[in-house]
Amino acid sequence: MALLKLALRNLRRNRRRTAITFVALVAGVGAMVAIKGFINGQRRQILENQMRGNLGALQVHKKGYVENVLGSPLTLDFADTPELRAKVAAVPGVKAVSPRIEFGAQLSTPDKKPLPEDGSELPEADRGITSFLMLTAFDPALERQVTPKRWEWLGAGRGEMLQSATAEQLVLNDDFARGVDVPMWKAGAELPPIEQRLAVLAPDRDSSLNGVNVVMIGAIASATPNDRRVGVISLGAAQQLLRMEGRVTEYGVDVDLKLDLEQVRGAVAAAVGPDYEVHTWEQRIPFVKDIVETQDFIFGIVSSILLFVVLLGVVNAMLMSVLERVREIGTMLAVGMKRRQIVSLFIAEGIVLGLVGGALGALLGWAWVSYMNSKGISIPAPGAKVPSLLRPSVDVLFVARAILQATAGAALASLWPAWRASRLRPVEALAHT
Amino acid sequence: MPHLIELSGIKKSYQLGLTEVVALRGVDLTVDVGEFTVVTGPSGSGKTTLLNIIGCLDRASAGKYVLDGIDVSDRDFDDLADVRNQKIGFIFQNFNLIPVLNVAENIEFPCSVRPGGEDAATLRARVEKLADEVGLKQYLHHKPDELSGGQRQRVAIARALITRPRLVLADEPTANLDSKTSDQIIDLMLQLNKLEGVTFLFSTHDPRVVKHARRALAISDGQMVDGALAH
Repeated sequence: MALLKLALRNLRRNRRRTAITFVALVAGVGAMVAIKGFINGQRRQILENQMRGNLGALQVHKKGYVENVLGSPLTLDFADTPELRAKVAAVPGVKAVSPRIEFGAQLSTPDKKPLPEDGSELPEADRGITSFLMLTAFDPALERQVTPKRWEWLGAGRGEMLQSATAEQLVLNDDFARGVDVPMWKAGAELPPIEQRLAVLAPDRDSSLNGVNVVMIGAIASATPNDRRVGVISLGAAQQLLRMEGRVTEYGVDVDLKLDLEQVRGAVAAAVGPDYEVHTWEQRIPFVKDIVETQDFIFGIVSSILLFVVLLGVVNAMLMSVLERVREIGTMLAVGMKRRQIVSLFIAEGIVLGLVGGALGALLGWAWVSYMNSKGISIPAPGAKVPSLLRPSVDVLFVARAILQATAGAALASLWPAWRASRLRPVEALAHT
Repeated sequence: MPHLIELSGIKKSYQLGLTEVVALRGVDLTVDVGEFTVVTGPSGSGKTTLLNIIGCLDRASAGKYVLDGIDVSDRDFDDLADVRNQKIGFIFQNFNLIPVLNVAENIEFPCSVRPGGEDAATLRARVEKLADEVGLKQYLHHKPDELSGGQRQRVAIARALITRPRLVLADEPTANLDSKTSDQIIDLMLQLNKLEGVTFLFSTHDPRVVKHARRALAISDGQMVDGALAH
């Protein structure tokens, strides 16, 4: 009699108990897969927002830029030449390159009313406001290929994106724009007089303060927790402001994500040479890695507790099974079954429970994740005001690992009941009533 | 010709709480091949303990036990499992069939736990032959709960014989059967004893069963009282 056949029959013996244990396993493993799918979806959402809406997959800087980013980053600029762009663009996997300048600036809004003719001061409520913010300068035609999410988010905000690479326009975060009451200029309308425009002031690479007058043409809705005091400005206006004609501080690079990002990063670094440094989006914002690690840690604890509770059910079911079958175990021992065979029998029962329950749970979890992936869950990213669809996803390897964990766990959970069964003395087991 | 069973100075005591219960007080006994022997005695006399020790289901506290030329007194658990599997067949008072297995599977079970063993077709042929001998050929695919008490005990007898044992031990095999069925079971065991030459040793306190035995042993207070009584 094959052990497995006997194990299967024993599991069918008390169908209600087996069913309850199965349900616990199915629910536990199904929940594990579903939670993992949800976490993956949220991770993907963060990745999409940061990579496709802010940084680009890769960033090329002058060597030492990232280390010096809080000091005087503008001194670590580089000439934006067609040759350099071509070198980056020629790397296999690179889909687009967008030159940028990142800089800190001061934004002054115009007074809401003209100065009183009697020479008195303008009431504070009517005065313009000066605020600090971080600006990213780019050519919208190129940037759209690297961070297309900015355009999506603009749709949830107000107005339009920069009209050209040289337009004296900026686009601010909508919360910030509303907070400092920045007037919006409607594209196509007559430009306001100079004194009614916004003034952007910034120290150039030699620390000399310079200014440029611009209009706000659009306001982007917040999509990430750290994007309030930010805005974008045309590359030409920024170069004029910073006296950096023909120079930039970085290239944002879009990459085919089917390829290994780290490998492409290495290839780009090799292409641009040792005077430059290349970072992945994750390297630039380590908090995302921290979030991922924290999520993994919490998921590890939650799934361990879940599995532990489920496996306690398996232990209980197997112990009950041993207690119910004491005389039968005695008979098996009497006719010559050895202790290790008794252990194997109960472990086989545990393995079948774990394998079938785990597989069914993983399948249901996977089905839920797949359904939700196609449908999408409308949950904004943390801190975001942009509507965003979270699409849970889980890879086959994780599903297989969940089944394996359930099977191995159930086998392990059966070990103690199996050991207890095998330690029964035939004479006492046969006399058991 | 050597004896099949040789017990000398077998003692057995249990610890029941703080009290030591002496079940066997030095039993000397020999049983030869082919015997059909019954052990009688009142409840608590020690006959089940004696059969448990002879069946290698329990160990003696003292004394020596040689079964079929093998001193089994100091064998470990797995060795004793092999001895039971290869040399002894068991028939229990409560039949002790495995409920999830059908008749054929119950009969072949002792062979299926052996490592290696004979091929499935040969084993199944022997199972069918034995089932035929005990009158259960048409019940091979029935589960134990679909059988009467007498039929279940017939399955147990076939299971005891499938390993071609040297000895079949039966502890009160007719205790849960009506008198007619009891007679049929005893007749079957006698017939198999004659046909197969298997040694039968069973315990009972039913006088109607004792009359069928060719040798009767009496036990009282853990001691053989009359030695061997031949009919």
